[in-house]
Amino acid sequence: MNAVGTVVLAVVVAVAGVAVGWRIGRHRGRDEGFPAPPSTSSTSRPLGSWPDFTQVLDSLPIGIVIVDGNGRSVHRNAWAAKFSGTHTGILLDATTEPLLQRALTGEESRQQLELYGPPRRIIAVSSSPLPGGGAMATIEDETERRRVDAVRTDFVANISHELKTPVGALAVLAETLLGETDPEVVNRVAERMVEDSHRAARTIDDLLELARIELREPVANDRVDLNGVVAEAVSRTRPIAEQRDIRVGVLDIPPGAAVAGDRRQLVSALGNLVENAVKYSEPSGEVQVRVRIDGNVAELMVADRGIGIPARDHDRIFERFYRVDRARSRDTGGTGLGLSIVRHVADNHGGEVLVSSQEGEGSTFVLRLPGGVRSHQPSSNETSRP
Amino acid sequence: MSSDTELHVPEEEAHGDLRRGFHHELDDIRDDIAKLGAIVTENIPRATDILLNQDLDGAEKLIVGDDEIDVAALALEERCYSLIALQAPVASDLRKVVAAMRIIAEVERSADLTKNLCKAARRIYGHPLNPAIRGIIQKMGDQATTLFKEATESYLAGDATRAAAIDDMDSYLDDLQREFMRTIFESHEAAKSSIDLQVAVQLAVVARFFERIGDHAVNIGERTQYLVTGLVRESLGAARHASRQAAGESE
Repeated sequence: MNAVGTVVLAVVVAVAGVAVGWRIGRHRGRDEGFPAPPSTSSTSRPLGSWPDFTQVLDSLPIGIVIVDGNGRSVHRNAWAAKFSGTHTGILLDATTEPLLQRALTGEESRQQLELYGPPRRIIAVSSSPLPGGGAMATIEDETERRRVDAVRTDFVANISHELKTPVGALAVLAETLLGETDPEVVNRVAERMVEDSHRAARTIDDLLELARIELREPVANDRVDLNGVVAEAVSRTRPIAEQRDIRVGVLDIPPGAAVAGDRRQLVSALGNLVENAVKYSEPSGEVQVRVRIDGNVAELMVADRGIGIPARDHDRIFERFYRVDRARSRDTGGTGLGLSIVRHVADNHGGEVLVSSQEGEGSTFVLRLPGGVRSHQPSSNETSRP
Repeated sequence: MSSDTELHVPEEEAHGDLRRGFHHELDDIRDDIAKLGAIVTENIPRATDILLNQDLDGAEKLIVGDDEIDVAALALEERCYSLIALQAPVASDLRKVVAAMRIIAEVERSADLTKNLCKAARRIYGHPLNPAIRGIIQKMGDQATTLFKEATESYLAGDATRAAAIDDMDSYLDDLQREFMRTIFESHEAAKSSIDLQVAVQLAVVARFFERIGDHAVNIGERTQYLVTGLVRESLGAARHASRQAAGESE
């Protein structure tokens, strides 16, 4: 566990200890006719002394369940209570209760609960005895932490795969060439070498592009005409679209639609989205590009009727080199970096990229950028000049 | 003021009533059935995932885990029998016990169906499924999960209104099943990406499993309505049957 987590937990244990001790004390006091402890029962508490512990517990981003020495529930903070009555809540309770029972015998324990959702979650429940009697369980959603871990480990494996495969192939092909005299074979092998060296070059180009986009902060703040961005992105993918007989249709761009940002990056991001849509469409399919200005948010939408993306991959496709289907990656010729570039461009512009996709029905990507405007005057770079 | 206003410690010791224990047991049985329902609710997306990713390990685990659900269901049924034998419940109490027994059976059967999904996953192992088929399997899994979640939660809350909505949600699952059948035929006939007959038959059975899970969720919803309102929804089916008979059509 990281340092912040440890500190939070220590504070929680301390607060919970005081709270439960006081609670049990109060309870006993009432039952046996003793007066409640004076320090906490005073109604004229001066402002700025003890905080309200339940409020403190409620403000935590983790679930806390506290039971007294008899295993009866004393407190459940807001995070833990928000699931009550739902099937998630039922399963959380079923995990938490035995752990609390064990904690009452003085034993700390921890268990992980994997929920298939949707959305899929990994939740860690741990319990410990409290110093003043009773026990406490903490419930933490570890989904995001797990995802980040997976990103880190997969990245190394993926980058070595993407770079080593074409380079390894080049070496083998070159060796074949060395002893070869048949001009036909030489020709064929040389062609493969050209192909593989282009592949390696593309990966390196994209990596450099990504590095550039990641580094450049703040981005240029030009007024960028979206008509021009769409036109350039679409024309860039024309060769591959024609080759696969796919129609790229541009729909209703509001006249004078523009955003503040970096033109080159925006063209690169939209170009990647259109290229993906074309690549993953069935031959002679259709791809639609559309721009909407919603308040001051510009939405660039790219929709296809292609093979779609499995639900479990939706939150991972924006990672570098992540592949839904490794076996297909060579056919499509992509570098596995396109969507990372899109996400970084969106981040740089203070926007976001969203995906909705169903396998067998197609995907829609939406690039949402703040700072969108619609004006009737033809756009230019005039506004950004001093 | 201070925080103690919302923190009530139950004081059941104060009541000397014997029926108290009975009602406690009734609530406990309901909570335990809901727990079983929640486990099955999780098993549906789990089985869908296993099916889509040809996860043989996961399939094995789920199939073995089903025995535990059977044991729990049997134990719950026993507890219902004991309640009837020892407490002779009447009126709404009797309805609760009877509804519980019916719902246990529905939950147990649904758990078996998720197990069957995993067995189907084993049989189609090694045969890649095309995106159209995968997409509909995912949608059927999502919808069956939603239905079962609604059924479990409305039973736990005793919410007849929510339970009544499950029937409407089921018609979407039925539509998906029909769409899936159509897609299987198309994929089987298509010259290029055809699936062989064996896989096609397995997939048809898979669609049936999802559809049946939806039906069990609807039944739980109807039982929940019955225990809250005392009305049996099947009387509607009986009425429909009578009118069909009158119209001279039969199925």
